Amino acid sequence: MTKTISKKELASWLDGLMKDRNLIAPALADQQTVFKPVASVDEIAFDFKNTALSPKEWFFPTTEPLFTIYQKDGVTELQPIDIEKESVVFGIRPCDAAGMKLLDKVFLAPPADAMYAERREKTTLIGLACSEAAPQCFCTSMGSSPGNAGDVDIMLAEVGEGYTVEAVTEKGNALISNLKLSDSNESAPEVKCPAELQVKDVSKAMQTRFEDDYWSRVADRCVHCNICAYVCPNCHCFDIRDYPTSEKTERIRCWDSCQSPGFTRAAGGHTPRPTKASRLRQRFYHKLLYFPERFGDYQCTGCGRCVALCPVNIDIREIITDIQKPGVKSGTKA
Amino acid sequence: MDENIINQIREKAKELLSSGTVECVIGYEAGTDGMTSRPAFIYEASDVERLVFDNTCTHNLATYLINKKTNKVAVVVKPCDARGINVLLSERQIEREKVYVIGIVCQGVVPVSWSGSGKDLQMRCKLCNQHAPVIYDFLIGEPAVEPVPTVSPWTSVAEMESKSSAEKTDYWNKQFSKCIRCYACRQVCMGCYCKECFVELLDPEWVGIKIDTSENSMWNMIRAFHLSGRCIGCGECARVCPVDIPLGLLNMKLAKEVAEHFEYRAGLSAEVRAPLATFNKEENLGIGE
Repeated sequence: MTKTISKKELASWLDGLMKDRNLIAPALADQQTVFKPVASVDEIAFDFKNTALSPKEWFFPTTEPLFTIYQKDGVTELQPIDIEKESVVFGIRPCDAAGMKLLDKVFLAPPADAMYAERREKTTLIGLACSEAAPQCFCTSMGSSPGNAGDVDIMLAEVGEGYTVEAVTEKGNALISNLKLSDSNESAPEVKCPAELQVKDVSKAMQTRFEDDYWSRVADRCVHCNICAYVCPNCHCFDIRDYPTSEKTERIRCWDSCQSPGFTRAAGGHTPRPTKASRLRQRFYHKLLYFPERFGDYQCTGCGRCVALCPVNIDIREIITDIQKPGVKSGTKA
Repeated sequence: MDENIINQIREKAKELLSSGTVECVIGYEAGTDGMTSRPAFIYEASDVERLVFDNTCTHNLATYLINKKTNKVAVVVKPCDARGINVLLSERQIEREKVYVIGIVCQGVVPVSWSGSGKDLQMRCKLCNQHAPVIYDFLIGEPAVEPVPTVSPWTSVAEMESKSSAEKTDYWNKQFSKCIRCYACRQVCMGCYCKECFVELLDPEWVGIKIDTSENSMWNMIRAFHLSGRCIGCGECARVCPVDIPLGLLNMKLAKEVAEHFEYRAGLSAEVRAPLATFNKEENLGIGE
């Protein structure tokens, strides 16, 4: 037996949630579907495979002030940033929700990142199962699935003229407590990803391929932009800088990427990863070896955004496959 | 796919690699989506079968020459990309004798995204009046009489120019607010080869690191200025932008200004330097005269 809600009731429920919360949902912005705050249910896009950018920016903003320093009459004051009211992120796909779980491992491990922790605490995730996979999707290979409810507070899946509703956490339960749901025997059809990868031996293979020429061959093609890191629901590196004016200094942090040449540059100018190949290799070693060693999971949830948006088709699925075959050259379809 | 073009590319690549003339051939191969092409670096004659050419070969491979300066390489270029080689030569960024240019008479490329490509040619290809490369060592295809363009290449710029200042500010602020500072536009640009880009300089700090409309605008506009009279219109910046900012329009506006003031188009010759990258003592700047 499942619980369902009609599309009309869903709309009025979301409408109600918006009254005292920010509602962040997939919406059309200049022909792209992205997560953004919406003021009305009409703005929400329901017909999308996945959003152009991941929802991570609502927890880890592209740029955010950390605190402001004031100096008045010889006294220095440090003013923390107020986190806004409670939020609901609606329409998050299972791959991106799995991405949130990975971000949690980084940002919530003691000492927790205060800003991230507070946003996470004040936000309820409402998941929306995929009714169709995109050509770049491979979440099932990375431990999730198009209908996985494991990483959200409430999970919805489209069936007929409505949605099945499953409260997964206490937070989710609280949000649907006043909701009138119908009983139903319907369940959403299973969706399959186009690609199924062998990932079991990736970390083991990576341990022996660090010095392999393979990386410089792939790096030949890579243009070393930051697209893959910035569209990734799991990449979480940032830079910090002070913005001083005569009255105050604002300390901000903002997204950064291991692909940029200045990323590891230390005081004095030394860069431990001076070549493009060493930077490209870092991306995949972090995702497929260092992160699993430290946190137990691959740092990739198979959303496929980097695959689809890479200007030169650096395809992590191909790399995962290649790296498990000894002696493979980039681009050979061995 | 034109088998004849592909065979000629493969044969030439094989010859250049077997004879040791070049260390590497930069061309195109099939991408993992099974529908579009991607750049390929071929080091061994036995790998030339990977090389392909079709109307999804939109990437400007001249960009890669900046990373391959040590040994001689061969590169497959379309006419637009060939103009990029001329820009790099005129700005002394590459040496002519270290590049073997395999030029292709091009019938145009289609809009390409992963797992999909358009049927119609890209707009820049529809307006193209140079279907044969201006520089090559080996030419594939027969140059034909160039069509007389029926539409001005500046149509989209003129449309933008006709808007009011407020409308333009509004439009571009909206566009730049989407920018995530991934720098993909810079990275795929053959004209953006500075070892240290102004945007990453700390001293002096020209632009901060914030991803917000104000600093994003600074970044995008200064980049456009640096490319004025140097952009060859390959369209790569706009193609790769993950948030669909029409960067080509910005570059085209500056190309139009340079064309009107200096009767100059980037990349037609390796001998002439871009007007804004040149200063002659006798030039009259119209300042204080």
